[in-house]
Amino acid sequence: MGLFDGDIMKYEDWNKISRIASRKSLWMVHFCTGCGAIELPPVMTSRYDMERFGMGPMATPRQADVLLITGYLTVKTLKRVVNVYEQMQSPKYVISFGSCPINGGMYWDSYNTVKRLDRYLPVDVYVGGCMPRPEGVMNAFLELMKLIDEGKARGWEKYQKYYEQYKRNQKMAFNFEREKDEGA
Amino acid sequence: MVVEKIAVIALYTTIAMFVGILFMGVGRKIVARVHNRVGPPVYQGFIDIAKLLTKKTNISHGWIYDLALLFSMTGIMLTILFLPIGGVKLLSMEGDAFLVLYLLAIPALGFALGAGASGNPNAAIGVMRALVMMLSYELPFVITLIALMIYYDTSSIAQIVEMQHAKWAIMIPPFVLAAAVADMALQGMLMEAPFDIPTAPHEIASGPMAEFGGKHLGALMIYKAGTIVAYTTLFVDLFLGGGVVMHDGSVLAYLANFAVWFILIFLVFTLSLLINTSFPRFRIEQAFKFYWKYEALLAFISLIWVYLMVIS
Amino acid sequence: MKALELIGKGEEMHGRAYIKSDKEEASSIIKKLKENGFDHFVMLSCVDWIDNNEFELVYHLWSYEHKEHVMVSIILPRDNPSMSSMHELFPQIETYEREIHEMYGVDFEGNNRLTPFMLEGWHDMPPMRKDFDSKKFAEDVFDSIPEIKEEEDEGI
Repeated sequence: MGLFDGDIMKYEDWNKISRIASRKSLWMVHFCTGCGAIELPPVMTSRYDMERFGMGPMATPRQADVLLITGYLTVKTLKRVVNVYEQMQSPKYVISFGSCPINGGMYWDSYNTVKRLDRYLPVDVYVGGCMPRPEGVMNAFLELMKLIDEGKARGWEKYQKYYEQYKRNQKMAFNFEREKDEGA
Repeated sequence: MVVEKIAVIALYTTIAMFVGILFMGVGRKIVARVHNRVGPPVYQGFIDIAKLLTKKTNISHGWIYDLALLFSMTGIMLTILFLPIGGVKLLSMEGDAFLVLYLLAIPALGFALGAGASGNPNAAIGVMRALVMMLSYELPFVITLIALMIYYDTSSIAQIVEMQHAKWAIMIPPFVLAAAVADMALQGMLMEAPFDIPTAPHEIASGPMAEFGGKHLGALMIYKAGTIVAYTTLFVDLFLGGGVVMHDGSVLAYLANFAVWFILIFLVFTLSLLINTSFPRFRIEQAFKFYWKYEALLAFISLIWVYLMVIS
Repeated sequence: MKALELIGKGEEMHGRAYIKSDKEEASSIIKKLKENGFDHFVMLSCVDWIDNNEFELVYHLWSYEHKEHVMVSIILPRDNPSMSSMHELFPQIETYEREIHEMYGVDFEGNNRLTPFMLEGWHDMPPMRKDFDSKKFAEDVFDSIPEIKEEEDEGI
């Protein structure tokens, strides 16, 4: 593995090339269960045109780099989101839309909306608002590119490092009743 | 001598892949302009492939999945080597028109092998459609190729190119029809709309590519770049004189031929993209019917026309 | 209104026919309406009147022929509510019955598909009942999930 050990190129330089390339070519898979899905067509089409930055929608999670969570997540959809996220190839990033994945938003007392997404998945960029406008979405993409360039978008490394904590939290949300029964 | 030959072959395949990757970016730019968007930079293809090849993790679905990509890539490279690029013959020989027909099937089969090994149901549907599509477009394409072979009385693509020095094939009336048929067949080969049902992203999650990710997808994109160059070059060689404009064997002629070849395949590719952006997609049985009913009929008319021209 | 003439009872409410019925009679009323032009089953809804200790099931039907909206209302007791299924009349009713069964706990006799529908792994009381404390539930379940404890280092 001479290529990565410094014989030909330093590992840091190699990382830098990887970062420059992945910053300019973010392919996304959008998980459109929430209302944020409707903000994406203007962002993709001629009004805001995200393809200027090399971004584009992808059909399957295997091909994608960015996971867009467009709005609230229920317990049921969280399972699918975790599946999708774990199928993606690292480096991978998560952008969450709107106030629902931040703290529950208008579903703060709902019986099945998981309130804070960052307890189950590492989120790199949040977009506030209910709903964020397409400008906000574009701004989030630019922010993500900046973070990748600086090497700060490390959600996927965090997920690997604290995998047990994330798994524990996901299980708690999925099986809340069973846990309670066992505890009693 | 052998070393030189190998070096030239390596150079040509590399150049072909580079041109293909460039064309992918240019193609996206053209599509974006048709949509009244700005579009990505023309070097976007290189960035995408660099990103995919520097991915940190990679999922393999077994050794068939890994080797199938090499299989397709080898098939497409061999096809490129048997096609004269700007009149330069690399591995051309007598009868290579038939060989190219066989070689054109290899990449699709490799693709099918890899997608089948990935085990995704969408991939299986996509592969089935891709193979049906291959079966559909090959009939009209083969008929036009036979028309060309009858007219020029040779089964070597290099000789077909040489005999078009005075007059391109497309300037002869029956071959206008044949070129139109072959262009639609090209649309199917490149999997552009209206024949992009095998890789339809919204219907079967990009079909055979559904499970490809990371470095595998990067290799697949290089293969895709190769197909663009191979198929457009085939069309240019058969109908547009292979881009040969000067015949005196000098360095200038070499460069000029290369430049004309580049422009011609670019024009053919642009035409294909404009058709792609203007039409919705056919269902697979509609595509099959289109090729075997209308296209094959037109191809037959051109074949009979050519035959009558030759015997009279 | 046409529907009121047909059934012979009920009243007009905000431009719609509102027919009060009971468990046994409802099926024959809806069958009669269906045979007389009210062939579009719009939806089945449920209201929890907790103060009266009863559920109200409302069957909404629409007629393209008479341009009329009919609501057939059935009152059920809140304890062990049960109703006979009408999926023989309108097949799509089965899905609405599954939803009402899951969200309110109303049992539909004759419907064999009363399996979990939208909620997964739900063991609590049906969540749309008014005595279900949604806020407390959300606090108990979702706010009890701990944050991810990160170590203080830059090297990840």
